[in-house]
Amino acid sequence: MTMDDNKLTIDKITADLTHHIRINKGFLLWMGFLTVSLLICLYAYSLQLRNGLGVAGIRDFVTWGMYLSNFVFFVAASLIGMLISAVLGLIGMKWLTPITRIAETIAVAFAAVAGLVIVSDMGRPERLAYVFIYGRPQSPILWDVTVITTYFVLSLLLLFLPMIADMAIIHRKVASLPSWLKPIYKTLSLNFTDQPEQNKIISRSIRILLILLIPAALSIHTVTSWLFAVTSRAGWDSTVFGPYFVSGAFVAGSAAVIIAMYFFRKNYKLQDYLTDLHFNNMGKVLATVSLVYLYFNINEFLVPGYKLKRADAVHLQELFAGKDALMFWLVQIGGLILPILFLLFRRFRKPGPVLLISIAVLIGAWFKRYLIVIPTQEHPFLPIQHVPANFMHYSPTLIETLISVAPFILVLIIITLISKFFPVIPLHETAVEKGIDHIKFD
Amino acid sequence: MRFKNLLIIIFICSVGTRVAAQTWIVPDDQKAVVAPVKFTPDMQKQGEQLYSKNCQSCHGNMGKDNWAKLTPPPGDLAKDKAQKQTDGEIFYRITTGKIPMPEFRNILSEDERWSLIAFMRSFNPKYVQPNPVAKAAFTGRIVTLAMQYSDPMKKVLVTATEQLKDGQKGLASGVEVMLFVKRYFGKMQVGDIKTTNAKGEAAFEFPADLPGNKEGYVELTATVNDPKSVMMTTPANANLAIGVPTDKPSLTATRAWWSTRANAPVWILLTYTLSVLIVWGFIGYIVMSILRIKKLSKGDA
Amino acid sequence: MEHNTTPQSPNESDNQKGSSRRDFLKNIGLAGVGVATGAAALYSGHVFEAKKEVSGDQKVLLTQDGKLVQVDSLEIKALEKSGESLQDSLSREGIPGRRWVMVTDLSKCRNARKCITACQDVHQLRPEQYHMNTLQMQDTPGTAPYNMPKNCQHCDNPPCVSVCPVDATYKRPDGIVLIENNRCIGCRFCMAACPYSARIFNWIEPKDAASHEGQEYSAELNVPQKMGTISKCLFSADRLREGKLPYCVEACPNGVYYFGDQNEDAVTNGTTKETVRLSKLLRDNGAYQLMPELGTKPRVYYLPPKNRLFPFEEATDATPEKA
Repeated sequence: MTMDDNKLTIDKITADLTHHIRINKGFLLWMGFLTVSLLICLYAYSLQLRNGLGVAGIRDFVTWGMYLSNFVFFVAASLIGMLISAVLGLIGMKWLTPITRIAETIAVAFAAVAGLVIVSDMGRPERLAYVFIYGRPQSPILWDVTVITTYFVLSLLLLFLPMIADMAIIHRKVASLPSWLKPIYKTLSLNFTDQPEQNKIISRSIRILLILLIPAALSIHTVTSWLFAVTSRAGWDSTVFGPYFVSGAFVAGSAAVIIAMYFFRKNYKLQDYLTDLHFNNMGKVLATVSLVYLYFNINEFLVPGYKLKRADAVHLQELFAGKDALMFWLVQIGGLILPILFLLFRRFRKPGPVLLISIAVLIGAWFKRYLIVIPTQEHPFLPIQHVPANFMHYSPTLIETLISVAPFILVLIIITLISKFFPVIPLHETAVEKGIDHIKFD
Repeated sequence: MRFKNLLIIIFICSVGTRVAAQTWIVPDDQKAVVAPVKFTPDMQKQGEQLYSKNCQSCHGNMGKDNWAKLTPPPGDLAKDKAQKQTDGEIFYRITTGKIPMPEFRNILSEDERWSLIAFMRSFNPKYVQPNPVAKAAFTGRIVTLAMQYSDPMKKVLVTATEQLKDGQKGLASGVEVMLFVKRYFGKMQVGDIKTTNAKGEAAFEFPADLPGNKEGYVELTATVNDPKSVMMTTPANANLAIGVPTDKPSLTATRAWWSTRANAPVWILLTYTLSVLIVWGFIGYIVMSILRIKKLSKGDA
Repeated sequence: MEHNTTPQSPNESDNQKGSSRRDFLKNIGLAGVGVATGAAALYSGHVFEAKKEVSGDQKVLLTQDGKLVQVDSLEIKALEKSGESLQDSLSREGIPGRRWVMVTDLSKCRNARKCITACQDVHQLRPEQYHMNTLQMQDTPGTAPYNMPKNCQHCDNPPCVSVCPVDATYKRPDGIVLIENNRCIGCRFCMAACPYSARIFNWIEPKDAASHEGQEYSAELNVPQKMGTISKCLFSADRLREGKLPYCVEACPNGVYYFGDQNEDAVTNGTTKETVRLSKLLRDNGAYQLMPELGTKPRVYYLPPKNRLFPFEEATDATPEKA
């Protein structure tokens, strides 16, 4: 490769990966839509603040409803950052490079919003600080708050570190950059000039983060599963809940990443970087984690179903053939078994089909959390008697649904902003991988 | 099946109404009973306390008509229906009770029962107390109890003495005696009713496993069983170290999952604190390193 | 309580060393915050341990309710708290030397529901809010149905207290599990953890909230109730302090409830006021507890529904309206 080729390539890569960094009509419309939707949802939340959690469908028996299943879903989706970056990254799978930032963005967005989701479920949100002031180290809630905060900070750092070099390249090389963005990029670039010492610090920091990220990520979802598993209730009282939740989280997260990949590829014209190979490989990852999840599902239902202890029998009866059966089988077959079968074939791992499969998986993943959280509470050990009918069966209200939609809007806003103002694909890393050893920073 | 249920219901209803319809007749001699002393404000005050503890849950607040909805209705004792009874009638009803009203014979002393009546009468401005008839005029047996613990017998020995017609004191035989031990919410009977022997003695076996206070003391009361109130009796009280010394630890004395933060198991405190410190120490270190990146470029420029 | 070990920034005149010195201070500061957190946790543990020390020097004091008590001189502390926190610490300490226990005789219950209404009246509860609820039970299809009053079991291994993130619900030395609703954040983890469905939540503004406005919260009475916080049976802790039986126990017209101090081995029937040996009552009647296999160690015993005084009738009371 000659020097000229080199220069051309880095310029082309830079142009390809940064041409979307500009404020256009489409972006404004999209953000406007998101903001208005968010305001509507916030109005619903203000009603809840004023009138109490009674505006939701939850009551004394089903006391954790959609807010909590939503929370579990958000924690689950955020776990993908750890799978893509840490596990696969540490093994050294080179093809992952263009996907890492998407995975980290999703991790940061979902982890940040998960914290807000849980606040929407609190009867006394203004006392949130009490968790830090009076926190009991015996309570899984304190562990959850601690590990989610930690995981969020780790993910944020892991998102930021590889971006330092990108910022340095962009504020020097991209002429079309809006003028108000330039100083911001310069600050974020930390005067990176590709010094060996600087690179050493970055790679060492990333390595430490990747190692810390594994226990932190395993903790967030394991601890979240313990919110249920530490109780005696049928359907929650399970020793495999930790790995069951973690494997389920990888399924939801992989699907989310594939969906994001598809939209970035199409909207930001990244066909040369997010190739069919990436979709094919991510399809394989999704199939693999789904198989692991299927294995835990079999454990989770077959073992209690074999013994049929009284409370378990009632619970499983409702899931398999009762009130929740339709949702249950749609989720298990449509969101897990069929996707696995389809993904075994190469032709379904092309971008289009794998997108559709991922959407089905992600919707299934949301309802799966609903099925984990709610039906168990409809069958406590002692009968539910002498209470109004709406105490016996849970059905979400409109206000509750709006409040549950808000976190999705927030996640979209965060992902949109991060992807709009920063390269979706790591610029410097891609350049290095394409054989461009030295990029001039002057 | 349904017919059978119906029959049962009819049966219950008929029994219920018959119970309610039965009148509660007080013997004439009891109706005429009057208090042994003139009611005093102190008695009314004591009566008020007794009322709130023993009567209020059914009869409600005096004059407020908020009595419990029971069958037959307990009624408000400040109202005419209750107040037009004689003191003797009220005294008899408190003493003997009738389902659902409990009998207070063994729960309240005679003096306490009279205090209750004094309190009740304080709500009736028209009430004029009949002249008290002191118990001295009483013709029945006048029995005084004494109590001690007999070490050789390992028994609580209750001795009954009585005032004889000639003014002398003698041992009272044939007196039915009951022994009670004080507990937090009331007196608990120890053993069965005993009858004093020729020496005026009744010996109660005291359970070897009954808890006392820290030093093993129990507060005992011996009373005469006199359901028809034909005697004038003085109970005996004693504080004896014959219970099992009991000093159970507080239920929160151990460190456990459910304890407060301050009382959390040490290993949880340590594990949690150390994990947080280690991870956040690394995070701090990385943040510091990131800030160093900026400094390193200055030399280059 | 938190010790901030961050040193005060001195007036640094040496500009050359300034930046590295600042970095050093930042490092120290970061470590300091961490150490302070750990130290606070360990210190609070130490305070608890230190409480166990005694000097042997006993002092006689008069308590608020007019009793003379003997206290170790080391335990005497000047009151620096007032109002709410004093009330809170009294509620947390409980009644010394007691272990409250309840015995419910199922053979006598005929679902009169007097216990429920008495309880709801004093605890500011709506008709569908139960600290105590009588359930119509049938253990298996072949066995006889019976009425079962069910309240908080005040477990000695309370799962609800274990999971509370903020010490808002706590177990007292005398066995009662109480709620500090000025502390409760409304996460409802305790409700999820309780296998007896004993806890309720104030989903909306509590009943008669306006008339209780400004009233100081009593954890022993659980009044005033607050929106967004938990409520449940408290064994009428306020009544026990006065030497009275709980509201439900006294309200029962059928003699179902016995209540007392396990340390005294005696319970008193709320209807007949008869006091009996607890151990004998449990032994003679084949007493049992609810779901002992869960290891919660309840403080409520049940006497089985045998030789029933009343035939079982399906509950006909109107179910409370939608809330």
